[in-house]
Amino acid sequence: MWADLGMWAAAILTIAIFSLLYRDNPFYRAAEHLLVGVSAGYYVVNYFQASVLRKFVFPVFRQGELWLVPGGILGLLVLLRLSRRTQWISRYAIAFYVAAWSGYLIPAIIQERILTQIVGTVPPAPWTVAPMAFLGALVLFVGVVSILVYFYFSAPQTGALKQVSQIGITFLMVGFGASFGYTVMGRVSLLIGRFQFLLQDVPAAVLGR
Amino acid sequence: MSAASQPATSARRRWIDAIATVDRRLIFLVIGAGVAIPLLFPLGLPVGVSREATAYHEAIEALAPGDIVIFAFDYEPDVMAEVDPMSYATLSRIFAKGVRVVALADYAGGVGIALRILGETARESGRQYGSDYVFLGYNPDYTATMLRMGESIRQTFPTDHYGTPTGELALMREVDNYAGVDLLVSISGSALAEYWVIFAGGKFGQKVIAGNTAIQAVLIYPYFQTGQLSGFLGGLKGAAEYEQLIGRRGLGLRGMDAQSVAHLLIVCFIVLGNVGYFTARARRRGEAGGMGRGHVG
Amino acid sequence: MKKTGPVAFGFVIGMLMLVQHFTGHPWITARYNNVLDWKQVVFGITLILGVVSLFTHHFKKIARRTAGWPYSILTLAGLLFMIVSAALFTPERGPYPWMFVHVQAPMQATMFALLAFYVASASYRAFRARNVNAALLLAAGVVVMLGRVPLGEMIGLDAVSSWILDFPNLAAKRGVMLGVGLGMAATAIKIITGIERTYLGKGA
Repeated sequence: MWADLGMWAAAILTIAIFSLLYRDNPFYRAAEHLLVGVSAGYYVVNYFQASVLRKFVFPVFRQGELWLVPGGILGLLVLLRLSRRTQWISRYAIAFYVAAWSGYLIPAIIQERILTQIVGTVPPAPWTVAPMAFLGALVLFVGVVSILVYFYFSAPQTGALKQVSQIGITFLMVGFGASFGYTVMGRVSLLIGRFQFLLQDVPAAVLGR
Repeated sequence: MSAASQPATSARRRWIDAIATVDRRLIFLVIGAGVAIPLLFPLGLPVGVSREATAYHEAIEALAPGDIVIFAFDYEPDVMAEVDPMSYATLSRIFAKGVRVVALADYAGGVGIALRILGETARESGRQYGSDYVFLGYNPDYTATMLRMGESIRQTFPTDHYGTPTGELALMREVDNYAGVDLLVSISGSALAEYWVIFAGGKFGQKVIAGNTAIQAVLIYPYFQTGQLSGFLGGLKGAAEYEQLIGRRGLGLRGMDAQSVAHLLIVCFIVLGNVGYFTARARRRGEAGGMGRGHVG
Repeated sequence: MKKTGPVAFGFVIGMLMLVQHFTGHPWITARYNNVLDWKQVVFGITLILGVVSLFTHHFKKIARRTAGWPYSILTLAGLLFMIVSAALFTPERGPYPWMFVHVQAPMQATMFALLAFYVASASYRAFRARNVNAALLLAAGVVVMLGRVPLGEMIGLDAVSSWILDFPNLAAKRGVMLGVGLGMAATAIKIITGIERTYLGKGA
């Protein structure tokens, strides 16, 4: 019974959200506000369970893992942000978080996002690959270098620099076009999913009785 | 202009004005119909398979029974229509091969999704919780989770999603970091596949494949080209390609006809919009030129 | 204490995380793991703070009878219902998972599905080939859009689409990735050394 009720609730709320396509209306607004509240409640329970209980309360108070206490203290410092008088104390927690993230990010980004990608850009020796593959690798190399030249703002973009930048812009336009095509694909797929629910799953459940 | 050609010209002008000013609700209706009709009356268009999807498939086929896979549900309900088919197809195939799964969610919203899909696919293959698969649940701060798992999965997840200490689970006694993991699969609606490549792949040498939404898939081609990512699926089409490869007619394949028709309609809208724009622009220039001539001596 | 203290603290933590990458020393690795564990607690509590702000915002709307205040009652009712049902029945059974599966997930999915309609409308209204670059963007978009679906594959556009994705698109994405990567590394260094302090808020 609860599963059937749930299916109808989902169908009605789905149609309420779709009603925005005609125009803004109270059904859409009500559904939207309900979504905000329910999802906020869902997330706060999950964060509390995963962060506070599983990563602090249970290990510290049930298993005696006291080395987790500083984490709890830093977490409490974050809450001091709520009062204007004690806001400055929360800076320690924020500095901790942002600096820790920065620290482990630097080597990872340089290694995986910069150096490895540069290696992947250098064309192979022409006698080691098929001609078309070498041509493609050259296109890739020219594209990456010209785009980096385009993003180089420390010198005025005139003369040869400007011409190379123009090539970079051309590659960027093609890249943006590909992103646009994939964005359309992604959005349409999400719509297909909802229509599959409304036009296939719901009738199947109704007729299945 | 002759009197005889004036009605034809004004009729053409009305058509052009109509093309240039279509009500957006009509556009919505056309797109809705373009998606709904092929779902109700399938066209059966054949689906090709890309190089990336083939590589994804090969990475999974290379697994042997008893191997261990980390399966990360890195998405939330907002994109589940696009990547749920990938999760279903991949997990079904992995379980059918007798491969064991350590599942987790890097977003809180992924927990409900993981419970549904893991439950269904494990039941289909008769897999046992604890020995064949475990669900570690959600852990906050995904980059810290990825790095911490490289040292100890059991310390990153002291208990599984259900509160059982991970040390007591048969599967978790055999694996405690990436060294014991044969493949990592990230089904993601965001940049998380990239972060798995950077942190788990880069620092610990973990082999990674990914299923991504279309919007993210277009961004990770560089990682596939360098071999940092061993294969990936892009969007619902990617899910359809993988279903094609494993012979499973799931939501991916079933949605391809609608995807084709919708794309065609959007291309038509782009063409229509540009026809209206260029015709109006030519008309404006023609009128401006005519005024100029009238003003010359 | 208020300005220099957090920056100095951040420097110590940041350097610890950076140095660990280059040394496998057990003591440093153990502290590195400690920091990762503490970071996860801070992350979760920070997100809970966001929900507290949401609660306060809607509560004030109801109290002051601002425009749209009845909808805020729905928001707070949903929020409190989820918290209370998780507390009474646990998050594994009862109303909490039911609400996720049948209320939150379908609505979240539908919100994003709306974008398909708006992208179609925007394609008609806004995407104009005004100049060569715009025409190139549109052409690439159209080829990829059609080439990646069965209809386009039937007319041979998949090969062109694949070439675009594997070469010019890859070059574009890599160029941007390198630029952003360099920016990220530079910003991270500036944060650790205290040059960049805007993340600490006003007055830092």
